[in-house]
Amino acid sequence: MSATLRPYLTAVRHTLTAAMCLDNFSSQVVERHNKPEVEVRSSKELLLTPVVISRNEKEKVFIEASINSVRISIAVKQADEIEKILCKKFMRFMMMRAENFIVLRRKPIDGYDISFLITNFHTEQMYKHKLVDFVIHFMEEIDKEISEMKLAVNARARIVSEEFLKRF
Amino acid sequence: MAKNTFSSAFRKIDVDQYNEDNFKEDEGDQSGPTGPNENEIITLLNQYPFLKFINNSEALRAVLTNAPLGSKNQQIKDQALNITLRVLLSIKGSQIDDIVQSLDPELIDVLMKYVYRGFEIPSEGSSGHLLLWHEKAYSVGGVGCIVRVLSDSKRA
Repeated sequence: MSATLRPYLTAVRHTLTAAMCLDNFSSQVVERHNKPEVEVRSSKELLLTPVVISRNEKEKVFIEASINSVRISIAVKQADEIEKILCKKFMRFMMMRAENFIVLRRKPIDGYDISFLITNFHTEQMYKHKLVDFVIHFMEEIDKEISEMKLAVNARARIVSEEFLKRF
Repeated sequence: MAKNTFSSAFRKIDVDQYNEDNFKEDEGDQSGPTGPNENEIITLLNQYPFLKFINNSEALRAVLTNAPLGSKNQQIKDQALNITLRVLLSIKGSQIDDIVQSLDPELIDVLMKYVYRGFEIPSEGSSGHLLLWHEKAYSVGGVGCIVRVLSDSKRA
């Protein structure tokens, strides 16, 4: 199973490195505005071809690049109901604190669990390779985190039910 | 004299669409390859099992050079995508390296486009194989071929 994880992350890393060539770009529509073009979609010439990298049907990354911003959406593996709930709650927890993560988007794109929005200002303030590392690291950790939480929930449920059934 | 009105509909008019310098997609020539010949590719894939390697690389070259990238017809593109994916998935992991090495830089760009398109329609085991293709194509083409996939308006 984990045989495809390494190539998957490498492919995402290379694609992100290629997509993160961002430049300051003022709005063409409103004077003195500067908006991430991938969000406002004001003109077709400013958007690049969106690409998907998938590991299987459920796990995939959607990368949309534009002249001054790139949006990365991640679909996390959810094998069963409990993983679905854990993922939903965990993502919600993080997205409520999106400003602490700086590049996190407050809402995910349809069909994905979490989205990042990286603009040219982020790439100016932070190292590009570190930003790429962050996204990759996030993808590595999120799977681990969710499976750990699932184990913890199951273990706790077992102890609770044992304690409860002792009375009978 | 302007008439006084409570209507605010005029505020919703998108005046920017009348700008002269708006971006227009150039129509361009729709000529170019009309897509690979399916029968030819399939015979290439199936004949002479002992010459598998040569046939496979020949088939891949045929689909890539005939890729209908400039075409506006989605049906032709989908057809070409299906054939290309079949060729890509029928090639064994150990042969990928040699085949990619033998391709021209332009064909590597086209190959990369099809790899990314293939990711969009994952089926059983296809993504893992395409990840392998991606890795090998990247090792030959470098970041440049990914950038060309992102920025080219002629999509696969």
